[in-house]
Amino acid sequence: MPEGRHAPRPEEAAPGARAPGQGEDESSAAGEPPRWQQAAELFGRWRAGETRAMDDLVRLMTPTLWHMARAYGLSPSAAEDVVQTTWLTFVRKHDSVLDPTAVSAWLTVTARREAWRTSRVDSRSNAMEDERLEPRLPTHRSAEDEAVEAVASEGLWHAVEQLDERCRRLLRIVAFDDRPDYRRIAADLRMPIGSIGPTRGRCLAKLRALIVGHGEEAGA
Amino acid sequence: MMVRVEGMNAYDEERDAALLASLRDVWEERDAPPSDLTERMIASVAVDDVSREYALLTPVTALEGAVRSEQSRLTLQFSDDATSVLLHVSATESGGRRVDGWSDPPVLAARLAQDAHEWAADLGDEGRFAFAEVPAGLSTVRLIVRMDGELREFITPQFEV
Repeated sequence: MPEGRHAPRPEEAAPGARAPGQGEDESSAAGEPPRWQQAAELFGRWRAGETRAMDDLVRLMTPTLWHMARAYGLSPSAAEDVVQTTWLTFVRKHDSVLDPTAVSAWLTVTARREAWRTSRVDSRSNAMEDERLEPRLPTHRSAEDEAVEAVASEGLWHAVEQLDERCRRLLRIVAFDDRPDYRRIAADLRMPIGSIGPTRGRCLAKLRALIVGHGEEAGA
Repeated sequence: MMVRVEGMNAYDEERDAALLASLRDVWEERDAPPSDLTERMIASVAVDDVSREYALLTPVTALEGAVRSEQSRLTLQFSDDATSVLLHVSATESGGRRVDGWSDPPVLAARLAQDAHEWAADLGDEGRFAFAEVPAGLSTVRLIVRMDGELREFITPQFEV
């Protein structure tokens, strides 16, 4: 998908550079190590012969892979297939992951590529197909928080739904990838590397404008 | 619309990070994976690993029979204290075998293995699973079920399909 309206400026985002504000401790709100680091540790333990560490790795990464797949507009069942294919590919090819700290990136990149491939094969895949029929994971928040945040969350969700598909996809990927590799994301999204940073910035700006338009800043 | 990447300051960075975190929350809340997805993924990865400790199921029926023609059908039953597995073996038009299975507790993932080859089961509802087309030959089935909130691995003795 070529970036049409915004010419990449080389000084804006160096190839492979981490996005501003996308620190490695993004997911460490509860004081635990970032996800990529937990994944590296579990993978290391599994390689050292601890069978059950693989269960924990799958538990850790499956929700992220789901969000990667869903970023491509796949139906829930197609997204599940992508997640499963990603894991089975990993089981076959884990020897190719030489550096354990790369295991999280390996998985997210594989899921994105598979999702991209699936979305092309099944271009009519309808994200709403079996939407909301499946039981969902419970949210882990207190009742008060939930009441207060419900309004903000509604505004944010409404804004997200109004974003164009490319923005929604890019923001979902960078939101869930705790160590985004812009070079790979650019390749996966068929965008020039230099345009990822600016596009991300523009998508966030669009989102803010939509939130303001809706009358909520959604706590952001 | 402003693009503020160039010369982004710490305030902008923090603001973007906060918005991305809010986005993550909203997606986690509104488009969470199906509640059992993680468990099914764990099982489907686990069943691939032959080095895990599989508990051997005991045949309830004799294992000597074999499917000889398209008309014949073989039913095998395996169990241990708390797990029960039924396998129906039938011949396919192309001369292969179809294996329809059922397990209690319901299966989360299953594989049929013959020498160096393995086939993953298609899962149905309520413990049903199927291997649509496998060659005739000596086989074992490995499967993973959930019991008392934990995944348990089982394997059948070898039998002829």
